[in-house]
Amino acid sequence: MHFEATELTDGERALQREVRAFLAAELGEATVQPGLGFNSAKDPAFSRRLAARGWVGMALPRAYGGHDRSAVDRFVVVEELLRWGAPIGHHWVADRQIGPQIARYGTEAQKQRFLPDICGGELSFSIGMSEPDSGSDLASLVTKATPADGGWTISGTKVWTTGAHVHDWIVVLCRTTPREEVTDRRSGLSQMLVDLKAPGVRARPIPFIDGTADFCEVVFDETFVPDDQVLGEVGAGWTQNASELVYERGGPDRFLSTYLVVEQFLRECSSETVTDAARETIGHALAQYWVLHALSLSLARAIDDGRLPTTEAALVKELGTRFEQDVVNSILSLIDFEPDLTASGLFERLLVTATLTAPSFTIRGGTNEVLRSIVAKGLRPQVEPR
Amino acid sequence: MSPTDSLVARTIDRLLADCCTPEALERAEVEGWCAPVWDRLVTADFTHISLPEESGGSGGSLGDAADVLKALGRYAASVPFAETALLGGWLLARADLTLPGGPITVVPELLRLQANRIAGRTRLAWGARAQAIVAIVDTTDGLIVALIDPSDVTMEPGSNLAGEARETVGFDVALTGARHAAPVGVDIGSLQRRGALSRVLLMAGAAEAMSDLTVRYTHERHQFGQPIARFQAVQQHLVTVAQCAAKLSVAADLAVRALERGPAELEIAAAKVIADEVAVVGTRAAHQAHGAMGMTREYPLHRLSRALWSWRHEYGHARSWSRRLGDLAFAAGADGLFPLVTGS
Repeated sequence: MHFEATELTDGERALQREVRAFLAAELGEATVQPGLGFNSAKDPAFSRRLAARGWVGMALPRAYGGHDRSAVDRFVVVEELLRWGAPIGHHWVADRQIGPQIARYGTEAQKQRFLPDICGGELSFSIGMSEPDSGSDLASLVTKATPADGGWTISGTKVWTTGAHVHDWIVVLCRTTPREEVTDRRSGLSQMLVDLKAPGVRARPIPFIDGTADFCEVVFDETFVPDDQVLGEVGAGWTQNASELVYERGGPDRFLSTYLVVEQFLRECSSETVTDAARETIGHALAQYWVLHALSLSLARAIDDGRLPTTEAALVKELGTRFEQDVVNSILSLIDFEPDLTASGLFERLLVTATLTAPSFTIRGGTNEVLRSIVAKGLRPQVEPR
Repeated sequence: MSPTDSLVARTIDRLLADCCTPEALERAEVEGWCAPVWDRLVTADFTHISLPEESGGSGGSLGDAADVLKALGRYAASVPFAETALLGGWLLARADLTLPGGPITVVPELLRLQANRIAGRTRLAWGARAQAIVAIVDTTDGLIVALIDPSDVTMEPGSNLAGEARETVGFDVALTGARHAAPVGVDIGSLQRRGALSRVLLMAGAAEAMSDLTVRYTHERHQFGQPIARFQAVQQHLVTVAQCAAKLSVAADLAVRALERGPAELEIAAAKVIADEVAVVGTRAAHQAHGAMGMTREYPLHRLSRALWSWRHEYGHARSWSRRLGDLAFAAGADGLFPLVTGS
């Protein structure tokens, strides 16, 4: 377990200024309202404009439309997008983890087929992991793929899948070797790229706690998946899936989900009404944002230095997601009105959404209980006792 | 210790490993300081680290002094190093005053000159051990840095929760000792920030040691037929302590770098807020994981937890630093808030 303190270089700060200028111009006249973290709106046109600046698929290889940029450069861009509440919903999952997975495990043909469109902000992806009876215990999943002529046939149900009713593709983790034929239940699983518009795929929105309809159930009814859409090695799905979690876990999306609520609170405050409680609360939040930014940046730097800080990433996600929940309650304690479900003003609307959706932050992408187990496994006694 | 540690960090760690025996630390509780550690720091020429050689210092950077403080924190070793190098020594060197030999202490608040006398009552760290008391005094001609002779003050003995000497000092003295105008950048605010940073660094070291100790204990201690680290409920505590150590370590290092460049108002305030949180949340989790063992003086956890509880009170608690951060945030406004988070 090691976190090296690091700061942005001059070049990285220049990139940050560039992104800020772009977003100020873009979002100043946007018709899409700012949202919270990666639950923000889907705006394919925005994703394409962002991609045109080279800010989607940044760390992917240039040969496939990427930009060979560092993890820290991507961190800088993503942090700004989240901070502004930019409509990144369309390309978010593709950019954060599917692109890197295909780049790492995909065949040459898959890279050529998917990566340029991911880098262009065109393709949207969902992640097909959880099932009705398999959440944290993912290896118990029962969606199965059976060999068919020229490919596989998938049957099963995935749930709590974000955006599956509108996205283009889904990466499905499914069982390709029956459970009784493997000794380790984590083997015999495979990842498959499935077209969400393919025959036999049905995505149905499950109304979310805040009334939105982005959460889905996806049913695969003997869906045919050709061999050339198997991602990586058949049977190695668990390892492939786990190896990419460091990208999914330690990023700025794990502490900035409700940042805009705090920023808007500040915007609504007139200097005469700033109470000591508000000074303390905002000051305390600033300290936490500052250190979480530093920890998350340290992970990106470690990745660029060739390390794979998996334990550290789990530690930061566990910390950051609790904070992004707590800060909502801190803001709630400072207001003197009851939030209205139908509010249209930006601050109140974000506050309502944040209050309603906050419990999901410590669940999505690995519950905090699972994360703590991962961190604890990485905490070993040092050989030399002090 | 990590492979990137500096020569100073490696040297001080070896030095402390050698002389911080349980007996020495126990005796320090009675004497109010750990004399063997101070003697070794003197021999190694570490006591005036980060102060320029032309002022009688030992040279070296602020980062070197930070490494010493983190190491002292890991052992909860009770010596006036921060007061001698980072605080009092810094004031003297900046004001072109000669560094006296031996330990120095510093008045953590602004004194006022009235009728050419300074009077007050304040709590000093290791006041009875200090060869010199350094203060910032507000005069009609501006701020000055002044030396107060310890033999001119009254001292009531006292001790913080960690058993470190903290005397309540009363004085009403004419300004006769060495003094010099405080240069730009030297005022009570900058002294208090450096004081807070010194506690942050000590606490970062203590938190790191507390995390290591808790990991080790929970892997050695067996209950219900297995190491208690196997129980998820105990693992939660391990993770909490590790998170505390990680947060504070990164915060402390960034605050040091910021102070090398400028006033570091935000960084030091934020780091002290986090340090205080660690003193509460981290020690609670560490003690819970240790059970009754951690409540005994026979086992070293108490040194670290008592040190954390003591240092959090020195140089301003979280609430006052949070308010200062809040002022920075409200002054920056909504659009200026995120640049404060990222430092640009």
